[in-house]
Amino acid sequence: MKFIDLPKDPWHPLGGEDGPPVSINADPYLLLDLSQWHAARAAWPAGVPVGLKLANDQDVESIGADLPRFALIALHFPKWVDGRAYSQARLLRSRYRFPGEVRATGEVLVDMLPLLQRTGFDAVVLRADQSRDAAERALSFFPGHYQGDVRDNRPLFAQPPGTAERLANKAQEFISGGASI
Amino acid sequence: MYQYTDFDRQFVHARAAQFRDQLERNLAGKLGEDEFRPLRLQNGWYIQRHAPMLRIAVPYGEISSRQLRTLGRIARDFDRGYGHFTTRQNLQFNWIPLVRSADVMDALAAVDMHGIQTSGNCIRNITSDALAGVAPDEVVDPRPYIEILRQWSTLHPEFAFLPRKFKIAVTGAREDRAAIAWHDIGLQILKNDAGAIGFKVLVGGGMGRTPVIGSVAREFLPWQQVLLYIEAIVRVYNRYGRRDNMYKARIKILVKAEGQKFFDAVEAEFAHILKDDVDGAAHLISLAELERVKRSFELPAGVTEAGAPAAPPTETAPAFRRWLERNVHGHRLSGYRAVTLSLKRAGQAPGDVTADQMDAAAAIADRFSHGELRVTHDQNLVLPWVQERDLAELWQAAREASFASPNIGLFTDMIACPGGDFCGLANARSIPIAAEITERFADLDELYDIGDIDLHISGCINSCGHHHSGHIGILGVDKDGKEWYQLSLGGSDGSTLSGPSVPGRVIGPSFAADEVTDAIEALIQTYKQQRAANERFIDTVRRVGIEPFKGPANAVRHSTAQAA
Repeated sequence: MKFIDLPKDPWHPLGGEDGPPVSINADPYLLLDLSQWHAARAAWPAGVPVGLKLANDQDVESIGADLPRFALIALHFPKWVDGRAYSQARLLRSRYRFPGEVRATGEVLVDMLPLLQRTGFDAVVLRADQSRDAAERALSFFPGHYQGDVRDNRPLFAQPPGTAERLANKAQEFISGGASI
Repeated sequence: MYQYTDFDRQFVHARAAQFRDQLERNLAGKLGEDEFRPLRLQNGWYIQRHAPMLRIAVPYGEISSRQLRTLGRIARDFDRGYGHFTTRQNLQFNWIPLVRSADVMDALAAVDMHGIQTSGNCIRNITSDALAGVAPDEVVDPRPYIEILRQWSTLHPEFAFLPRKFKIAVTGAREDRAAIAWHDIGLQILKNDAGAIGFKVLVGGGMGRTPVIGSVAREFLPWQQVLLYIEAIVRVYNRYGRRDNMYKARIKILVKAEGQKFFDAVEAEFAHILKDDVDGAAHLISLAELERVKRSFELPAGVTEAGAPAAPPTETAPAFRRWLERNVHGHRLSGYRAVTLSLKRAGQAPGDVTADQMDAAAAIADRFSHGELRVTHDQNLVLPWVQERDLAELWQAAREASFASPNIGLFTDMIACPGGDFCGLANARSIPIAAEITERFADLDELYDIGDIDLHISGCINSCGHHHSGHIGILGVDKDGKEWYQLSLGGSDGSTLSGPSVPGRVIGPSFAADEVTDAIEALIQTYKQQRAANERFIDTVRRVGIEPFKGPANAVRHSTAQAA
């Protein structure tokens, strides 16, 4: 999981007014919303990295054909308990095989990390008050999971024989090794 | 019952450790209340009227004597000595201080228990027929399938923050004892003409403010596909269910609003999963996995397919005869019976059990039922493996422990939520109403004369007491800060006795608390006057309608008359 430090991050939104502007210069690392992308897409040169901000009520399907042109998709959590972006990320990875960065923005809290990681996010902009240490610890609790996820869609029962036993032993060693969990 | 693997065990311990970490951050001021709330809810911790409430998952109602003893110990050591079994086959405690919550989760994990997804806007603990695996009318034992569903839904990363809660119920019998049409997803396992096993899938049922009966999405879904099909349903719901108004956020509202478009979207999503997704078919259930899980549900050691046929019991007490009639049920194995331990008795709220009673039930289960019990949707306990020849002895033991009320299916075997005495959501109290009715109808001869009837009491429109599906439903409402009760008639949970699932109809303006029992008695008297020979309450209501009941019920009003 990549933790984005915004001041050092090359990605930036378009300046000026919201909504579709008259013309958009093809600056590298521009992060556009859907209407801006629609205004820019015809003229956007290949090879200039561009990212898309997708609201959580916008369908991934609507940009399916353009996905190869994006280096990054930013999915938004207006509230952290609004789980729509998890489905969007899962579709981007598993259905559209999107290889670029999938970034979580908005109200991103440390306890969301396991869900984000397993649904296909590989970068997060944590809410300013969140602790990176706690976020990393949040990823460490479980020996494995029952259902598959975007990293390996096979559920535990479809894993090679002995997988569940191996994961259980590993967790046991972790605990008896004095882990503080 | 299901035997935890080492992985399962490590998993619930990991969950307890994760919860402890979250609790400690909360207590240290590093995790705000609003941010801790959804996390603790998904572990079963509500903040209630007096203290936090803990809801512990009893998956499809199966519980061992060892687990029940641990619940008794938790009741003594952490609570005030009692717990409450719910209509969703779970157990709730009401008085545990939040600072001790992580210790309780560790104690539960030690006996393969947890509170995972017993609350919150996620896929909740899955319920089933309390007689699963032993019912004579069973087509397919649903438990292995539910266990696979339970594992799949446990900490599903995509579906932890749905628009609203999501409840699944499964039955494998001809008789629906799980009220499946009243759930977000209802599953009936059946065999087709070729003998293949599959699921009838209902979607969009639910109670609450807008009672809706589930609609059929598939008549016969091959069992291998059930995880994928449910994934398709829940994904469509997660993406398109309403989030702007919590009263319109359940899947039933989406299904109603979209109609056929909803079902088309589910079918399209299902096809995409199989056709387009990376390893999309990976969640097809394999025969090897089904067989592995099934091994947990083989007969307990010592139970044989052909049990010894017993001579008729020599016990002749009339109370024993009545208990045999009401509390003892048929079994798929000859020589065996399933027996209900009634948790409906004067002096205790429906579904309540003290720590001592938990121990007593555990001891009875060890002695008569291979250490296994079930929690029923009607808030009783069932012993699934009782030998016929032990019935008289079991009756004595059940009597000593106050479990032998011969009232199963009768008027005092009512369903009731904890209501305003405990619940922060309730508009009115349920327990005093239940107690007053239990007292008024204490006479066994009268109970038998009234016969089969479902009385369901909810303290608010959230409908935890399933008032919509009661032959008589009582709903607590709040008017000007006072408790009022709406009465409805003719609801059905979908059982053969009750008829196709349907919400009851309200008989008129609400009654004051001190009028409810009189009004209920008036309804019963009206039934007695109106009924044909051998006609049950629900059949009379269906035949004559609710009109003849209104006058007698209204005639008892005295407080409402003054208030008007």
